[in-house]
Amino acid sequence: MRKIISVIKREYIQIVRTKGFIIGTILGPVLMAAFIVVPILVQFVSVDKQEKIGVVDLSSEVFKELDKKLDQELKDGNRRYILQEFKIKEDLGLLLEDLNKKVLAKELTAYIYIPENISEGEIAEYISEHVSDFDKQGNIGQALSSIIIEKRLRGEGLDPEKIGQYMKPVQLDTKKVTTRGVERDAGGTFMISFVLVLILYMTVIFYGQIILRGVIEEKSSRVVEIVLSSLKPFQLMAGKILGIAAVGFTQYAIWALFGIAATKYSGNVVSRFFPAAANFPIPTIPAYIFIYFIVFFILGYFLYGTMYAGIGSLVNNEKEAQHLVMPVTMFLVVPIMLMMFVIKSPDSSVSVILSLIPFFAPILMLLRISVLLPPFPQIAASIVLLILTTILMIWISAKIYRVGILMYGKRPSFAEIIKWMRYR
Amino acid sequence: MDALKIEKISKRFGDFYAVKNLSLKIPEGTIYSLLGPNGAGKTTTIRMVMNIIIPDEGSIQVLNEKMDDKMKNRVGYLPEDRGLYPKMRVGELLLFFAELKDIRGQEARNRIDSWLERFDLANWKFKKVEELSRGMQQKIQFIATMIHQPDLIILDEPFSGLDPVNTKLLKDIMLEMKNQGRTIIFSTHRMEQVEMISDNICLINKAEMVLEGKLSDIKQQYGKNTVILDYDGDASFIRTLPDVEKIDDYGKFMEIKMKERSDPQDLLNKSVGKIRINKFEVREPTLNAIFIDKVGESNAQDNIGH
Repeated sequence: MRKIISVIKREYIQIVRTKGFIIGTILGPVLMAAFIVVPILVQFVSVDKQEKIGVVDLSSEVFKELDKKLDQELKDGNRRYILQEFKIKEDLGLLLEDLNKKVLAKELTAYIYIPENISEGEIAEYISEHVSDFDKQGNIGQALSSIIIEKRLRGEGLDPEKIGQYMKPVQLDTKKVTTRGVERDAGGTFMISFVLVLILYMTVIFYGQIILRGVIEEKSSRVVEIVLSSLKPFQLMAGKILGIAAVGFTQYAIWALFGIAATKYSGNVVSRFFPAAANFPIPTIPAYIFIYFIVFFILGYFLYGTMYAGIGSLVNNEKEAQHLVMPVTMFLVVPIMLMMFVIKSPDSSVSVILSLIPFFAPILMLLRISVLLPPFPQIAASIVLLILTTILMIWISAKIYRVGILMYGKRPSFAEIIKWMRYR
Repeated sequence: MDALKIEKISKRFGDFYAVKNLSLKIPEGTIYSLLGPNGAGKTTTIRMVMNIIIPDEGSIQVLNEKMDDKMKNRVGYLPEDRGLYPKMRVGELLLFFAELKDIRGQEARNRIDSWLERFDLANWKFKKVEELSRGMQQKIQFIATMIHQPDLIILDEPFSGLDPVNTKLLKDIMLEMKNQGRTIIFSTHRMEQVEMISDNICLINKAEMVLEGKLSDIKQQYGKNTVILDYDGDASFIRTLPDVEKIDDYGKFMEIKMKERSDPQDLLNKSVGKIRINKFEVREPTLNAIFIDKVGESNAQDNIGH
């Protein structure tokens, strides 16, 4: 046992000291934060600029109302959109050409073309250098729609006073029912669970690759037999997998600390810069999801880790390993592709069966748990199946590893591998 | 007491016998060499002794006990395929190897320092293994084999790839270990080393033992029917002489096996005047000749032919 601990210690220290680990550990949360913060930031920052928008109003009755409706304000209280009407002097074509030039010269960020019969369904146009600012296009589209619809309703003789009431949009509030009752959930909890599933997927692949590379390094540097003069192949394999698991937990612990710190202090920071974001509730992960996450990470790690170790022992270099790793990696990629289906119908029988398949369970059962908590027997069944499969995999991998780690030269055929397993 | 006792072990890989019905006894405090062409089964035998692969039949006793993890701490093993973790520092790598033999803490550190000192590697302790030359890495491997002061030392092809300086260093250490009462088993192709330091030898060919015993006894068995000739000139006429059974000619040096009851003096007389003789010695055959004789010319040519 003390020898295994020496192996674990070596693996741990060697990996934790690498630049890759240090950079990855720091960069992980930074990237994660960047994914969440940057889009928000960009939205708020880009708002902070006044935009000049030209309007060509052939119907001659929309511009004024549009100018009134597009009253979005910047943080400093100024109007976001400055609208300017352009009238036809000689020819529509000439005017549009002139406006195109203005847009290219950045005198205008965009211009809107309103056809004469817009109320009858003729199509309006938004012309700009880039058309990917969906926020702005949404604002303009909504404003135009409500103007035209109001106009049509007035045309039907409705009381202009009441039209405002009629036009009031419906508020849709999403709530989640759990055993503890009904809770408000703006989708944040689900998003975080979704992120957890992705983290599980990425770390299992990432650490699996580290195991694979470690086994290949030991084999190709020919150090393995010196090590095996002191301990059993199984002890070496177990020590390696456990040592790298310890690295994984270290990384998770660091990330969790980042996360806790972020949720504790980020609220203040965010609301200082963006008061509007303050009323967005910070999502929390229920403890049970977190516990299941740990359970499925551990099981998934050992299941895939032992497979990667077995494969590593079969090959002479990393290039050779790629062919053999493919099917294993596919087992991880397939459930990721099935995620959308499971999210939509978490309790369909197909989802239930998929989440019971041991190779998919770490990802799909965790996903089901975070979307719609399945009955406990199903969770228990998937965990038991996963444990049994992992034990079987450890047994198979250990048998292959024992022989493979000392075999150099030609990559063995499948039949040969089966033969190895029968060696005493 | 026997340092190693092997009784009728066999190992098969599929239909292929790597080792067949092999029995050995190695007395304590001796240097024992395992000889044989490539693929003869030496490494498989050694791996079975080390419990890395399990024999299909037979039993192995190391230092009068069955080989297990506890016994591994009393055995030092230098495999034929040997390497080091390239990214580790020399000091911590040796500490890791020491820990795997249950030598820990200050004791391990002291031993590492004294070995590094002895091998002139003290300045390299904090360098990464990959920065070391091949010769230095081999020294590190020897240290790893000896760090726990094993009673039984097993070296698989220890001399392969060594320069003359390191060869001498290793030979000196082997003799020193023997004088401390430790037992050394090593496999090799190079007969000169065997002749100089081995007490006992075992010759394996095609999974089976062909010859075993004390080196001096074996040589005596063959008798003094060999002539070592150190010469200059054209010696091709010797081939045609009736008393000559077999010749191993190196151009300036010739090992001649005489027919039974022939007189080497005749050979000397017939050679005088035809070639320049620098040395003429009547002796037992060299181990090289015995090896070739036993393994068979065709079998050995590819593997030994220097």
